[in-house]
Amino acid sequence: MNALLVIGLMWAVTYPVRWLGLGLGGLKLPPFWLAFLRFVPVSVFAALVVPDVLGSPEWARRFVACAVGGALMWRSRSLGLGILGGFGAYWAARLAGL
Amino acid sequence: MPLWLGMVPFAVAYAVTARGAGLSVWETQLMSLTVFAGASQFAAAGLFAGGASMLGIVSTTFLLNARHLLYGLSLSRSLPLSRAQRLLGAQFLTDEAYGVALVSGSREPGGLSFGYLLGAELSLYAIWNASTLAGALAGSALPSPEALGVGVIFPLAFLMLLVPLVVGPQVIGRLPVVVALASGLGAWGLSQVVPGGLVILLSGVGGALLGAALVGRQGEGA
Repeated sequence: MNALLVIGLMWAVTYPVRWLGLGLGGLKLPPFWLAFLRFVPVSVFAALVVPDVLGSPEWARRFVACAVGGALMWRSRSLGLGILGGFGAYWAARLAGL
Repeated sequence: MPLWLGMVPFAVAYAVTARGAGLSVWETQLMSLTVFAGASQFAAAGLFAGGASMLGIVSTTFLLNARHLLYGLSLSRSLPLSRAQRLLGAQFLTDEAYGVALVSGSREPGGLSFGYLLGAELSLYAIWNASTLAGALAGSALPSPEALGVGVIFPLAFLMLLVPLVVGPQVIGRLPVVVALASGLGAWGLSQVVPGGLVILLSGVGGALLGAALVGRQGEGA
């Protein structure tokens, strides 16, 4: 697979959407599609996380990492702390033989 | 700019993942220079590593970045832009730039201006690309990603983006949690039977449709 072509296509599907939004200030989308767009990040992020944790051969360690990282993020609102804390928990679980 | 603190580790983690997936330093950097959308770059790096198809990667990118339409729509209501300003401003529009422009830009004397928006966008762009380069160069010096366990960074980073969306202070009700659970578990089930990129597309669209349908039902009930 040609990585440069993929990157070019990724750009080609990203830039026009941003440009279109800036140009369509007067447009009114139906409430259903506004709600749809609002739920896309939640839905996509969850679809990226869950199979990558539960479907992994080291799922138990990853589950511990996500539980700790998610809790830290929830309480602190700090992305850096959540990732570092989760990564630390991953290593603690790994060293503990999980 | 406290946002930089969040962006630097994310950009470095993206770059390390991309290098681990077999992209060159130049390809890793090019994605930050052109696409400039953290979540979708991260997703693409993970999908490259998983050997997903071109269609899978591009459609996931499209789906993840479709929310930028909302930012553009929202900004252009409070800030009328010329054709040239739209062409330029669109390249650098991100979640963070939108948030800063909306929250801080409107508090500026004279309100939100194109200069303020572009300044916010470009400062984030510069940090993102500098951090990508640092991560891409350091990544090639590190031992294999598997030995370091950086595979877990990928789900962790997305979990960090997901948490404020489902339990953040501005979230009302439990609908986002329902959508996240349905989409996540649906994706896990689908991943046993169909290839990676398609899983994200199907469960992403499915979850968002479910959310929109539930919102509609709530609206009718109220």
